[in-house]
Amino acid sequence: MSALALQDCDVFYGKAQALHHVSIDVAAGEVVSLIGRNGAGKSTLLKAAIGLNAIHSGRRMMGDRDITALKPYELGRLGLAFVPENRRIFPNLTVEENLKIATVMGRKGPWSLERIYQLFPRLLERATQGGDTLSGGEQQMLAVGRGLLTNPEVLLLDEPTEGLAPLIVEHLTEAIRTINAEGVAILLVEQNLKVPLKLARRQFVIDNGRVVWSGTTAELQADRARIESLISV
Amino acid sequence: MSMLRLDQIFMAAVVAAMMVVPMMSASEESLNLISLILVWGLFAVGFDLIFGMAGMLSFGHAAMFGAGGYALALLAPQVGYVPALLAAALAGVVLAFLLSVFALRVSGLFFSLLTLALAQLAYILASTKLRAFTGGLDGIPGVPRPAMFGVDFYNNRNFFYFLMAVFVIGVAIMAVLRVSPFGSALKAVQANDVRAEQIGYNVQRLRQCAFMISGAYAGVSGALLASLMFYVSPQMLHWSTSGDVLIMTLLGGKGTLLGPVLGVAVFEVLKEELSQFTQHWYGILGIVFILCTIFLPNGIAGLFAKLGRIGKGASK
Repeated sequence: MSALALQDCDVFYGKAQALHHVSIDVAAGEVVSLIGRNGAGKSTLLKAAIGLNAIHSGRRMMGDRDITALKPYELGRLGLAFVPENRRIFPNLTVEENLKIATVMGRKGPWSLERIYQLFPRLLERATQGGDTLSGGEQQMLAVGRGLLTNPEVLLLDEPTEGLAPLIVEHLTEAIRTINAEGVAILLVEQNLKVPLKLARRQFVIDNGRVVWSGTTAELQADRARIESLISV
Repeated sequence: MSMLRLDQIFMAAVVAAMMVVPMMSASEESLNLISLILVWGLFAVGFDLIFGMAGMLSFGHAAMFGAGGYALALLAPQVGYVPALLAAALAGVVLAFLLSVFALRVSGLFFSLLTLALAQLAYILASTKLRAFTGGLDGIPGVPRPAMFGVDFYNNRNFFYFLMAVFVIGVAIMAVLRVSPFGSALKAVQANDVRAEQIGYNVQRLRQCAFMISGAYAGVSGALLASLMFYVSPQMLHWSTSGDVLIMTLLGGKGTLLGPVLGVAVFEVLKEELSQFTQHWYGILGIVFILCTIFLPNGIAGLFAKLGRIGKGASK
């Protein structure tokens, strides 16, 4: 059963069609990645998934429940957590406040403040600092922690490793693996194959607003040259 | 950061010292002045919940302020003082709810303009159409003060202690609200409403709640002002009242608990002193305000924060 699925979705910006009959799905507890070059429609698709872009036709499903008409905050409470590309930490709140406010409206579940500090000890050291004083890597950890504290069914990560130092990327990759091992399904969006090949079981490739390829990671390895050309700039 | 900081202690000390002044001196003028500061201070503290915390510039708070005054003036003779004061708070909440139904459909500048227009509507209603209840432009004279514990509150000194009690309770409640999850959520909404919505907050509902709480503060302080002056008039509903509370809050420092109270103090003291020399005190106040926004963009609270940092640096 899918934890989150978009079925045959069209999305428009004004009169311009940004997504054409897009279908993707993430099964419960699975890691799926969505790969595409700049401007391919990755963020548009993510925004459609979390309710920020209106779905013109097609459906958004959670299990066999149709959630197309729900508002972003309702989707958040239902278990969709989104970690945006530019992290969007609340700069006027401390690190701990950034985390705590995510616990209020979320679901009950295994993720607590302590668990987040366990996963990212760096955040505990910075707990009383302002959200705007963190390094890029720490901001990413905070954004992931904030998402997790809503105890999501599915965690949507928009280019979580972009622009980060190799060591931090490794640390985050490991953290994502740990999070998934706890049963959280993950939709990972990336521009390259590096992290997706390490983490995901299935892959979707998007280009010009259409899903142009999908398959397992093994199938992707077999067809790698063609995929590389689909996502190269 | 949630711990008490030096500048916050400073500000609390200044506000406390201000309240002690009338106890030490026999002067009626200082008693009157501090009483006014407490009443407007409570108004500004409530206004900052919406302005400093939620980041919404309301230009309609005069409506709730005036509604509180009228509610007390009309109800206190019928139901007693304390129930009428609670009714004033409720009047503020209900009016804030009505305003929010329309004004929260839009955001930013349009929110400010809609609140302004709706408050002016209240002003016009009170001064003309509802004349039978409000006394029109003449207002309602003889607004009562409380009668309880056998204390004579028509004595200004006794009434000052009553105002102080309400002020302290109001500020204490606001202090708790600001550090509560509700306070954090409001700050999150101000910083990025889309993100706040994604972690499950109904942003519109949050804004509406904050607006209504802020309305309760406006209602109570309006009622207290009516009591203090024994008089309520449509002037309280006028848009310039909304402007005054905004200027006071900015002068003192928005987004801080006690900054707005200091802003009120500076505003009222300047008004008191300047108006003895010239009728053009409002103009001079305007120049002071312009200079402050240029040199003290975070208000008096910002100045205290700067001093606090220097103090900390020196002690290291």
